[in-house]
Amino acid sequence: MDRRNILEELKKVLYPYTENKELLQNINDDTNLVKDLKINSANLVDIIIDAEAKYNIEIDFDSAEKIITVGNCIDAIAEKIK
Amino acid sequence: MNDPASVSQPIASTGNDIVDLSATDPLRTCNPRFYSRIISSEEKTLYDQWGELTFDNYVWLLWSIKESVYKYTSRTDTGLIFAPLNIPVLQLTAPAGDGFYKSMVIYGSEILYSRSIITNRLIVTVVCNDENFDRTWWGFRSVEQTAYADQSASVRTFALGKLHSALSRADLRIEKTTAGYPILLDGIGRLDIPLSLAHHGHFVAYSYRLPSSAEEPLREGGQAVPASRSSILKLAVLFPNNSLYKKSAAN
Repeated sequence: MDRRNILEELKKVLYPYTENKELLQNINDDTNLVKDLKINSANLVDIIIDAEAKYNIEIDFDSAEKIITVGNCIDAIAEKIK
Repeated sequence: MNDPASVSQPIASTGNDIVDLSATDPLRTCNPRFYSRIISSEEKTLYDQWGELTFDNYVWLLWSIKESVYKYTSRTDTGLIFAPLNIPVLQLTAPAGDGFYKSMVIYGSEILYSRSIITNRLIVTVVCNDENFDRTWWGFRSVEQTAYADQSASVRTFALGKLHSALSRADLRIEKTTAGYPILLDGIGRLDIPLSLAHHGHFVAYSYRLPSSAEEPLREGGQAVPASRSSILKLAVLFPNNSLYKKSAAN
């Protein structure tokens, strides 16, 4: 699965936690989950858990701590499913 | 006017957080896959020995403390990443008369203290490096609208209302630095009054810290801004004890 496919699937993970759904249409590697998508920081763990369930992977704590942007999310997922 | 992003780092800080418990999922919170990303095995052991709260409330209490510590610290270390497991809560005590859950956290070179209020609807926390919280003021209230923009506007209005009264000044405003934390400004520039804002679900909260000499709040860079003694007296009236916070919650 390439990064573009992961991005499309990641949008589904982010959807319930993103208030303005339209913002998801134009996200890219640099999109900040909290600052740009206005996702509450209390939901960042939810996103990690949901991504783990979706891909049947386990994102290690070090990688999870670095998840600030959409690109960081894709990196963490890509690392585990390659 | 000073460029908010170009002034030197504040000499003191404040950090706060609020959790709307209705916006959390207790079942998910109690799942080890979830809580193990927020609390360490040592903190889980602390709970097992302590047992003062439901476990989901304990997890969100520690989240709230750690988020507040992060906000406190990231004001002077803007490259910091929020990593809850790297912020160990070493000591936690239940309310003893004053209504506050209290904790101590050693983070980097700082010893920080927290005070939290827990109700059946929310957990609100403030953190500072003074165990007595002598110059730190904080409050919270409920809001009708939960959209991000509404929460953001409400918490600014709430905090500015308190600051206008506390400082007897009407020319205050709040901006955000490029690093993402809020700062307080007047018509001339940035004031040395660290401010922290939080919102989640149906609640908003603020905290701020007055300079060591509350009669002379210092502008960034050391320029004194005289404040009348009456404003200090107003502070004492406005914040005599923690009843303020409970009153705010009912607003």
